[in-house]
Amino acid sequence: MEFQSCVKIINEWDIVAARQLGRNVAKELGFGTVDQARITTAISELARNIYLYAGQGKVCIEKLYEGGKSGLLIIASDEGPGIPDVRKVMEDGFSTSGGLGAGLPGVKRLMDEFDLDTTIGKGTEIRAIKWLR
Amino acid sequence: MRIPILKLYDCLLVSIQWELDDATALQFQEDLLHKIHQTSANGVVIDITSIDFIDSFIAKVLGDVVSMSKLMGAKVVITGIQPAVAITLIELGIVLDDVLTALDLEKGLEKLQQELGD
Amino acid sequence: MNKLIYNYIKENRSRILDTWIQNMRNKADERLIKGVSTEVFESTSDEFVEMIISRLTEKEEEFLSLLTDFAEKVVRLGWPLVFVNEGLKEFEKIVYGGLVDQGLVNQDKLLEVVGDLDSFMTPMQNEVVNMYSQIWEKTVSLQKIALQELSAPLIPVLDRITVMPLVGTIDTERAKQIMENLLNGVVNHRSEVVLIDITGVPVVDTMVAHHIIQAAEAVRLVGAHCMLCGIRPEIAQTIVNLGINLNEITTKNSLQKGIEAALEITSRQIVEMEEVE
Repeated sequence: MEFQSCVKIINEWDIVAARQLGRNVAKELGFGTVDQARITTAISELARNIYLYAGQGKVCIEKLYEGGKSGLLIIASDEGPGIPDVRKVMEDGFSTSGGLGAGLPGVKRLMDEFDLDTTIGKGTEIRAIKWLR
Repeated sequence: MRIPILKLYDCLLVSIQWELDDATALQFQEDLLHKIHQTSANGVVIDITSIDFIDSFIAKVLGDVVSMSKLMGAKVVITGIQPAVAITLIELGIVLDDVLTALDLEKGLEKLQQELGD
Repeated sequence: MNKLIYNYIKENRSRILDTWIQNMRNKADERLIKGVSTEVFESTSDEFVEMIISRLTEKEEEFLSLLTDFAEKVVRLGWPLVFVNEGLKEFEKIVYGGLVDQGLVNQDKLLEVVGDLDSFMTPMQNEVVNMYSQIWEKTVSLQKIALQELSAPLIPVLDRITVMPLVGTIDTERAKQIMENLLNGVVNHRSEVVLIDITGVPVVDTMVAHHIIQAAEAVRLVGAHCMLCGIRPEIAQTIVNLGINLNEITTKNSLQKGIEAALEITSRQIVEMEEVE
């Protein structure tokens, strides 16, 4: 069974829409409150990154069923400038926006799997999975 | 929508009841600082029991509000941080070092009295 | 199924079994033989060959149930999968060898027989591997559950003071579980002080310390104090030698001292009563 829904990120309000969608799907899948908070927060971070750095993009949420376990996949994609130094953005405390710099490494810690694909000038796609335990 | 800020003796009480979007969070920051200036309050209790997640942006706004209030002479206690919120904050790697916390509004006010009494 | 093979196995059953046991005994390593008595080895081997033969005589379901029973048994006996697999191969070899020796197969039919024998044995091999991995997975998931049940309870000892004794090794998975229990407990019991007792934690390395620091920090966020008790000398040594900074956390060497300090924080003390006549 395939299930995917997406939210386009164009303005600040879409960040709220994206995390609400994520929270609903997480609830449907039966995630506990802590995991719901982890997922919602991760989506919020990823959506905000899109809004801040790429201007626009989209966040998709997909239910996963694989080998007897289920999970939630977040795909955050944009056609923005790309990330020039991936190693650096994955370092704790690095931030170009004047935020807390918790961004991507934080998201990685919140989720179980994290995959970043970026091309300069073409855009960035981040896939992150949380498995239901 | 604006977050209401109540005055109780020399303290301000804020209860955030719904999910914060960026604009509301920033508006709140501004409103609170104005209110502190207006009432020359010594302490602020912000209760976030109803908030079920905080991302780095909102955390930054809250942290900033605490530091800014401090500059204006008001101590801030944040109360009712949910376990799930605490865990995600920690995992995100956000440290709200100099933020005072308490379990709930009641204990928050107690703590504030203690801090101000010292 | 090839009639020829079927008949051959049926007629030569005891001879095949003997050869098989002989050959397998040579192959089995010492560890295997030592742990298992001769009778058990023989009866199990007998069952094994019986099972293979049942594939010919019984219905599919019955064969599968035999296979399940057998797999469970050998896993319990500690027969390695490699050995069982080897056994299947050996069986195939013996049957094939026997067929050729007795001149039951001529050159033209050779390929056909080999093919038949193979298509008879292969599903069985797959099934055995499958059974093994299923049993392993089951064991692992059972152990996981058992470990979760072991996971730290939170005990309210006095009004506004709770204790969480930690026992056993702490990995990331368990640390997350502990953190959740801890925070939910603090909020539910409305505790002001939580004492984490690590007397039962065998090793405190950088990772465990990191988890403890995070838990303490999270406890502070929900609005309570966190104290660490039960630090044994060797733990104190490793913590300092590893250069772990636990300065942010109040530490006490025993639970008793911890509770005293907790009472102090909540502005109370234990007073001895004067004896009443």
